Amino acid sequence: MTLWDLSQGSSAEVSHYHHSVEENYQTRLSELGFHPGETISCVLSPRLGAPKLYRVNNTIYSLDDSIASLIEIN
Amino acid sequence: MSKVALIGSPNSGKSLLFNRLTGLNQKVANYPGITVNIGSGQSLADPSIEYMDFPGVYSVHAISGEERLAIESFTNALKNDLLDSVICVVDSTRLEKGLIFALQILELCYQYQKPLVIAANMSDVLEQYNMQFDYRGLSAALGTPVLPISAKTGTGLEQIPDIIKDLPAPSANYQSDTIASDASLVHLQAQQLAQNFGPKGDLLIKAQNRLDSFFLNTWSGGASFFLIMYLLFQAIFTWAAPAMDAVESGLQMLASVLLPLISEGILSDFTEDAIFGGIGAFLVFVPQIFVLTLVVGMLEDSGYLARAAVICHKPLRLFGLTGKSFIPMLSSVACAIPGIYAARTVDSSRKRWLTYLAIPLMPCSARLPVYSLLIAAFIPAQKAFGGLLGWQGLAMFSIYLFGIICALLVTAIISNTQKDMRDDLPFVLEMPPYRLPSWQPLVSNAWNRSKYFVTKAGKIIFAVTVIIWILGYFPNYGASLSESWLGSLGQWIEPIFAPLGLDWRYGVAILSSFLAREVFVGTLGTIFGIEGAEENVISLAEQIQSSGLPLGSGIALLVFFAIALQCVSTLAVLRREVGSWRLPVQMFIGYSLLAYGAALLTFHLIELFT
Repeated sequence: MTLWDLSQGSSAEVSHYHHSVEENYQTRLSELGFHPGETISCVLSPRLGAPKLYRVNNTIYSLDDSIASLIEIN
Repeated sequence: MSKVALIGSPNSGKSLLFNRLTGLNQKVANYPGITVNIGSGQSLADPSIEYMDFPGVYSVHAISGEERLAIESFTNALKNDLLDSVICVVDSTRLEKGLIFALQILELCYQYQKPLVIAANMSDVLEQYNMQFDYRGLSAALGTPVLPISAKTGTGLEQIPDIIKDLPAPSANYQSDTIASDASLVHLQAQQLAQNFGPKGDLLIKAQNRLDSFFLNTWSGGASFFLIMYLLFQAIFTWAAPAMDAVESGLQMLASVLLPLISEGILSDFTEDAIFGGIGAFLVFVPQIFVLTLVVGMLEDSGYLARAAVICHKPLRLFGLTGKSFIPMLSSVACAIPGIYAARTVDSSRKRWLTYLAIPLMPCSARLPVYSLLIAAFIPAQKAFGGLLGWQGLAMFSIYLFGIICALLVTAIISNTQKDMRDDLPFVLEMPPYRLPSWQPLVSNAWNRSKYFVTKAGKIIFAVTVIIWILGYFPNYGASLSESWLGSLGQWIEPIFAPLGLDWRYGVAILSSFLAREVFVGTLGTIFGIEGAEENVISLAEQIQSSGLPLGSGIALLVFFAIALQCVSTLAVLRREVGSWRLPVQMFIGYSLLAYGAALLTFHLIELFT
C-alpha cells in the first residue's frame, strides 16, 4: 500500500520509498518529514485524481500520484 | 562593515525580514536561478551592518542545479570568510520543519566558526492563537541565540543589530554533525527540539484545514477558483483602465505642451512619432503590470496561489506542465515579462523550460489592440444566439482560446518528443498557512516591478523605436512612407507575405510589430494616413475593409499574431533568465515559422470555402 492509497481522514506510518526514487530526492522527502517511521495523515483527497493533501506534524504538503504512489506505508 | 547573511526556506518570511531590516525590496531575487542573485542592503537601524539575502532553499542537500548553486554560494561565502555572521529564518508555526534546516545551518556555522542567530518568525501568529514557545530553552539547547520576531509587524527586529554584534560562534555543546549524518536523524533531533520547546496544539493547522476543505473541494474549490480568476481579469482589464487612460492623457498633455516648443523639422517629427508615438504606446501598459503584480502578490501572500497550483496540476500535467506553471501562464495574459519572472517558482528545470515555451503563446494584452482592429475590420458587429452574444465578442473569445490551446498543444508535443526527464522533479508543494497580506510590501513590490519594466524593457523598446523611425523617416524626411527605407524594405519582403494575400503595407506593419505587437496598429495607421490610429481603431478598420483585403487574409493575420513571438522585451528578459540566447532564438524562429505556416493554412482553407 502506498501513500496515494491513503483515504481522507486516515493516517499511516511511512515504511520505505520505492527503489525508483532517486537518493537525493529520498533525502529531501525525509527532510520534509516523509521519512520511514513517521505518521502521515491524509487531510484532503479531492476527486478526479487531483493532488492530495498530507499532514506531517504541523505542515501540510500537496503530493500528486507520481510521488505519493512511490512512498510505501504500513 | 559587518556582513550578515540571511538564509531560510521559502515561505519562512526571510525576504520580508530583509526588506524590513534594509528598507529595500528584493523579492525579484528571492529564488534560485541560473545565476545566484544575492540581494544586499545596509541596515536601517545600524549603517555599519550590511545584510545579504541568499535565495530561499529547503535544505543544504540540493535536488536541482539551481538549489546547488544557491547552497554553494552560501557555503563559499562562509568558507572564504566573506560573512561575519548568519541569521537563519524559521517559521515558528511550523517549527519542526524549520529546525531541520536550522540544524544544518548551525552545523555549517559551527564548522566555519561563524556566529548564528535563529530568527523565529511569525511570533505575532503565535500570540494571536495564544501559543507558547520556549525561546530561551531552545536557545540553550542549540547553543546559539533564538530570537522571536515578526517580520510582518516588526516585533523583535530592533534587537537584531545588538544581538549580532559581539556574538560568539556556536558553542561546542551542540555537536550534531547533522550534515554527515542520516537525514532521518536530523529529523528526529528537530522533532525532539520542537516537542520540548515549540508551540503546542494544532489550532493553526485546523483553521488551515477548514479553509482547504472549501478552497480545494471539487465543487466549492472549482467555483471559487473561477470567481477569483474572474476578479483577477477584472483587475487587469477594468481596474487598470483609469490609470491607463490617465497615462495616455498625461502623455497627450505633455505632447501638446512640448511639441509647440520644438521648431518643425526632424526633432519635432522624432519627438512626436518615436517618443510620444512609440514609447508612449508602451508606457500605457505599465498600470496593467502594476495591478497584475499587486493582485498576484496579494493572492500569493494570502496563501491562495499554492491552492490554485494544486487545482490546476492535474489538467496541466496532461500537457507536460505542472500546477506550478499556472501562475506564470496566468501572469502572461497581461504580459509575458512578469510571466517569465513568475516561472522562477517552477522548481523542476524541465517543467520551467516547458513553461517558458507556453508563455509567449498566452494571449497577452499587447495583442489586444491588434485583435480589436482585425475583428472590427472582418467580423460583423451583429448579435448572435438571440441577442445574447455578439459575433465580435465570440471572435475575441475564440482567438484568446486559440492562443491558450496552441500553448498547451506545443508543450504537449514537445514534452512527448523530448523525453529526457533528468531535470524533472515530482509535484510536492508545501501549503503555506492562510494569512492576511501586508499591503506595504505588496505595493512596494508592484511599484518596483513596474519601475523595472520601464527601465529595463524601455531601453530596448526605445532603441528599436528609433531604428524603425529612422527607416520610416529617411531619405525623404517623412514625405512618403512608401518611398522610405522602411517602404523599400517592405516591398522587398512583400513576396514573403503575398501568399497570405497581404501587400507590402501589411508586411511593413508586421515587420515593425516584431518590436512590440501593438506597433502593428500604429504602423498601419501611419501607412493609411490616419493620425492617432490606436485611439480610433474603427476608422482604421474601415480603411482596411476598403483596401480590399480578403477575409482569409484578415483571419490569417489573427492566427499569425496569436502565435508569433513579436516582442523584443520578452526575448531580452528570457535571455536574462536562461543565461543564453539559445532558447529565445529557437523560440523566435520556431514560433515565427509556426505562425506563418498556420496563417498560410488558414488563408487557403478560408479561400477554399468562401
